[in-house]
Amino acid sequence: MKFINLLKKELSELINKQMIISLVFVLAVFLIMGNVMQSATTEMVKDANNPKINICNLDDTDFTNEMLSYFRSNNTDINNITLTDNDYASAFKDNKNLKSFVIIPQGFADEVLAGKKPEVLSVSKVQGVSAFSGMTGGTDGTISLLNGYISLKLAEQQGVSKDDLGIIEAPLKVKEHTVVADKSAEISSGTILTKVLMQNMILPLIVLILIMMTSQALIASISNEKIDKTLETLLSTPVSRGSVITAKMLAAAIAALLNAGVMMLGFSSYTKGMMGSMTSDVANGIHTGVTDNVTETATSIILSGDAMKQLGLTLGASDYLLIGIQLFLTIMICLAISIILGALVNDSKSAQTMLLPIMMMVMIPWIVTLLADINTMPTAAKLVIWAIPFTHTFTAMPNLMFGNYAAFWCGLAYQIVFFAIVMFFALKLFKSDKILTISLNLGQKSRFKKSKKTNED
Amino acid sequence: MANVLEVKELSKQYSKVLAVDRISFEINEGEIFALIGPNGAGKTTTIRMISTLLTPTSGDAIVAGHSILKAPEKVRESITYLPDEAGAYKQMTGIKYLRFMAGLFTSDIDKLNAYVDRAKNICGLGDRLNDKIGSYSRGMIRKLLLARAVMTKPKLAILDEPTSGLDVLNAIEIRKMIKKLAEEEGMSFLLSSHNMLEIEFVSDRIGIISKGHLMVTGRSDELKERYQVPNLEQVFERVVNENEVH
Repeated sequence: MKFINLLKKELSELINKQMIISLVFVLAVFLIMGNVMQSATTEMVKDANNPKINICNLDDTDFTNEMLSYFRSNNTDINNITLTDNDYASAFKDNKNLKSFVIIPQGFADEVLAGKKPEVLSVSKVQGVSAFSGMTGGTDGTISLLNGYISLKLAEQQGVSKDDLGIIEAPLKVKEHTVVADKSAEISSGTILTKVLMQNMILPLIVLILIMMTSQALIASISNEKIDKTLETLLSTPVSRGSVITAKMLAAAIAALLNAGVMMLGFSSYTKGMMGSMTSDVANGIHTGVTDNVTETATSIILSGDAMKQLGLTLGASDYLLIGIQLFLTIMICLAISIILGALVNDSKSAQTMLLPIMMMVMIPWIVTLLADINTMPTAAKLVIWAIPFTHTFTAMPNLMFGNYAAFWCGLAYQIVFFAIVMFFALKLFKSDKILTISLNLGQKSRFKKSKKTNED
Repeated sequence: MANVLEVKELSKQYSKVLAVDRISFEINEGEIFALIGPNGAGKTTTIRMISTLLTPTSGDAIVAGHSILKAPEKVRESITYLPDEAGAYKQMTGIKYLRFMAGLFTSDIDKLNAYVDRAKNICGLGDRLNDKIGSYSRGMIRKLLLARAVMTKPKLAILDEPTSGLDVLNAIEIRKMIKKLAEEEGMSFLLSSHNMLEIEFVSDRIGIISKGHLMVTGRSDELKERYQVPNLEQVFERVVNENEVH
């Protein structure tokens, strides 16, 4: 009953109106971002699946007209661009949605027929510096079509068939195989890595959010009680210090889970927005004409499910249970560290500073595991990274996926030992006089002395 | 009259500082005992040890028959502690705060309601109890905290600077409240204060502490007579100065 009373108080402090408003705001931001990304990727996929080429045909000969008719007959839309006084910008003024076009200059057909290399002009408009603004609307597809058509014509002139031309252009058939441990599958390693990366993107983010939220909540909870001197009142009541700290830890974990849940909901809607339009369109059918790199990669990723199973890269129920255990342990470590950090706080400024060590302990392994393979790092760097308990949380999923069970169990064992040690010191600190007398006001020497003096009154 | 508190040779050593050095005193049932001394004399450390917040380096204190070393949980059932400049949970309403604190002393709903009703009467905050504590003035918070400290009718209420930061009228009201609770309900109080006028008005006995030593204890008039001075302020000055010389 007394514990429930404590827990209710802690929860009401953490889950308040401000938190709910901020969660709704975060969710709204993710939803808006998701919509924005969806419209950007939809446009990209639309461009890839329904090629539309923009051509200004200044040559206007039988050869070029026949070429354009050939493109049309292969389901390619052609937008004829006209220029005013040879001013390239005028084309964009007349066509608001136009991003680029190719100019076929006069004498183009003559040069082709004479066996020379004719010149074409590629004109593109730069309209922004955002990541996606440059990904669509280039002239590569148009030029590729022109090259293909002219190669075909030249081959015909030389008496080479279309099939033979295909062999000349790409004489090798490449069958890619990927091996994981003792299993292999017919798929490119690039595709497998992209798929694994996409799958593993979510877990580190959950870990990151959970750790940050939990630490912030618990450090604030302990430090506020110290600053407002409510902790002294609380500890002088007939409840054990163990119940006080357990209620705080449990409430912080519940609040963090709620935060993480809402954020993941928002994040999944954001990623759906980013990937959804791309993958669904690709799954409906792949265009036989111009296929850009984005579409190609997405296609192979979608079709790679069986290969993933074949390579043993899918996780079973027992694997997810192990990941859950490791996540739980991660939160417990984070709570234990937060108790110590919260106890060191004596004013609101140092409460914010105290979050820094945990942030560093999370950000470093997250970035390292995202960008590099820890096993290939120098020994000293490897040891430092492995000494950070959260590293093993980030490597848990890949370890289980690639069958590195020894590495997983070692990581888990290290986390258990780390948690036991930190929790021992955290409880010792909370149950001792130090919870009321210790303070660490970084960069505020004079105030530290003052608070020490007051404590010793 | 039975002792509610018996402090026996209590000492506290911080790393290099001996904050409290073998002090002994007792408080009887229904008695108001005031511990006075200059800043850093060891008042708060003594109070925190009796409240089981700090562990003594040596010595013991018996609160309502329970040792602070052997049975701190039993001690906490018999006392309430109001720290100097203590705050309350600003997000809570006054009434929720009282219910929360009462819930830490009892799991019995009837008892809990009785504690809260008593606190409501004592604090006199009326409808403002339904407002968040964050909107209270300092005086209102102090009244709320004092009501919280006495609502469970503890054998010993420990109040560190009970009227610090309050205006004259609020301070008078709180002093009267303490006196009334001791006289009418037999509650014992251990106070600490820098206000000699307050001490003289409210306390039955006084202990003067300096540099961790309890220099003298006695009733206000006894001390004035012993030091041949007209008021408590001069007694305090003499005692502290004598300790400085030694």
